[in-house]
Amino acid sequence: MKFLVVLACKNLTRYKRRTIITAVTIAIGLMLFILIDSILIGVDRESVRNLKWYETSSVRIMATGYWEDRLMLPLDVSIDDPYTKVQLLREHGYDATPRIMFAADLILYSEDFGEDGNLPVQVTAVDTTLDNTVFRFEDTLLEGRFAESGKNELVIGSWMAEDLQAEVGYWVTLVTRGNGGFFEAMDMQIVGIVNCPNPNVNRSLLMVPIDTVADYLAMENLATEIDIALPESADTDVEAQAITRLMAESGKGTTVMTWKDLAGDYLAMMQAERGGSSTMLFLVFLIAAVGISNTMLMVINERTRELGMMRALGMDDRSIHWLFMLEAGGIGLLGSSIGVALGMLANIYIVQEGLDFGFFMREMDMAYRVQSIFRGAWSLRSILTTFFSGIFLSMLVAWIPTRRAIRMDIPSCLRHQ
Amino acid sequence: MYRSNNMKIRMMAIVVVALVSIATVGAMTAEDIVRQMDALETFETSYAEGEIVTTDRFGVKTSTFRSWSRGAYDSLIEFTSVAERGQKVLRTEGELYLFYPDAEELIRLQGAALRQSMLGSDISYEDMTGEKDTLSQYEVKLLGNERISGRDCFVLEFAAKTRTVAYPMQKVWVDTGTYMVWKGEFSTKAGRLLKEMAVLETMTVDNRTLPKITKISDKMKRDSATEMRLTHLDIDVDLDPVIFTLQNLTW
Repeated sequence: MKFLVVLACKNLTRYKRRTIITAVTIAIGLMLFILIDSILIGVDRESVRNLKWYETSSVRIMATGYWEDRLMLPLDVSIDDPYTKVQLLREHGYDATPRIMFAADLILYSEDFGEDGNLPVQVTAVDTTLDNTVFRFEDTLLEGRFAESGKNELVIGSWMAEDLQAEVGYWVTLVTRGNGGFFEAMDMQIVGIVNCPNPNVNRSLLMVPIDTVADYLAMENLATEIDIALPESADTDVEAQAITRLMAESGKGTTVMTWKDLAGDYLAMMQAERGGSSTMLFLVFLIAAVGISNTMLMVINERTRELGMMRALGMDDRSIHWLFMLEAGGIGLLGSSIGVALGMLANIYIVQEGLDFGFFMREMDMAYRVQSIFRGAWSLRSILTTFFSGIFLSMLVAWIPTRRAIRMDIPSCLRHQ
Repeated sequence: MYRSNNMKIRMMAIVVVALVSIATVGAMTAEDIVRQMDALETFETSYAEGEIVTTDRFGVKTSTFRSWSRGAYDSLIEFTSVAERGQKVLRTEGELYLFYPDAEELIRLQGAALRQSMLGSDISYEDMTGEKDTLSQYEVKLLGNERISGRDCFVLEFAAKTRTVAYPMQKVWVDTGTYMVWKGEFSTKAGRLLKEMAVLETMTVDNRTLPKITKISDKMKRDSATEMRLTHLDIDVDLDPVIFTLQNLTW
């Protein structure tokens, strides 16, 4: 075996140009693989974080039956006495806050916006004190200030503000249906614009004080949800079960769901996108494989006479097969080493600085909850997989042409031009 | 002398009749007026054809329809205009269903879904097929009389008894002779005007004066109005009970 390894190394150095070209092909393929994989992992992690920080929280409590009708944002399926439940949760170490979600028609006036208009919106009524203990809007304020308790004030997402050409100080009216079905109209002044890293929220956020809205919509001492933040290290499913038990003790009629349940659509879309990404990664690998395969075919074709001579001198087929496999593995090792090294170098920039896809995300409503900068993430597992896959793949694609050459009889090999 | 006496008797008779009429009208309570108003709008059965003309800042859109109704609760509307042909809205007591022929899909609307605008108009599904039992939902107050479109009208104010009605406050102008509603203002609890309804043209069917063209304006959306025009109306006609069934909806 040692002889075969030495011979394979000699052959690799004998055909330097070919070895380098093939190794570079592999290296580029693997480098791209590492970078794409890094971005996908990074975006996925950031999306989940932004989902929990700005959209779903870690765990949500709703009234039983609310989830089934959630698209209608019903107010009559709500949680009774939410502050007692929030207090109970806080006593057990959970950061919790009540919210009221409702649908409304946003009426815009020409006096402020240049022309009259209206659009359907979803409004989030928040507890101005507790909400920042669960969600992370605190650091996202771009202009103005947050709405104050009991006042007819509104905070709007920056993309929505841009689309509506809204500015701090403008007045709007929210026309909605209260708890029971009656119409209500609320004049609200925009007091703040937030720039949230979650594009879905930034595109549609309208945040008002919960006590103001409760009064208008007959939702006193009611909430449509209680949101709970868990530490990053917490096991969400285990905590959700504990919260379910806690809620059962405090009365019936609530359902507890984790962010995975709440963002089921997002996760399904991610699953589909991961399928697409895997195809893309497979194609990157395929390009590298075709390069290696082509090179090995060329090598074997060029060296058929040499192969015949080795067989005529008594070298057995198994050793010849191994020799070519080792050569292919050597090229793979070289390519993988260069590819992984280059990939890791480039990934430092991707992880620290990221790539700005803001122009793309602004116009398109993608499932990713990342507003503009796509940052990569380190994954040792991916890097090791890539490295060994490069070597294994090189050997695998050399298998067939080598086997075919060995099947030729010795005179045919020697006569081969 | 005889002629003079005769004149006196005639004059007295006229005065007596006038006083009796005034007393009758005066004796009517707000609730009586509302009962008459609801009765006018409720038929044993009816069949109507008409169109809904919606005007907003994007332009004018016309949708035509046929409708059947039975009593206070059952009604079926089928749209006949090209864009919506075959779409049906069935209301039975407490239930509302939509049928979309293109999707061959039957949708049961409930809760907040009933409040959706119908065909982008200022009329919601619940407005179109609403149950007509005003007194169970509103406290009524008679504010006085006013003339609307040259007709003497009672002015009534409705204050919602429950939170389950769309408009917490209503002010309606009801014809003192025909009990048809000429005008309506629909407001929030705080009195903010949301919608306005006005009858532009009437028709007489089976000795009842009914709205022929009704204009509904959304006061929160400027330049937005919907006209409901009835082109044909038959009342107390024989209707197959199958019309108000789910099986019929999907045919």
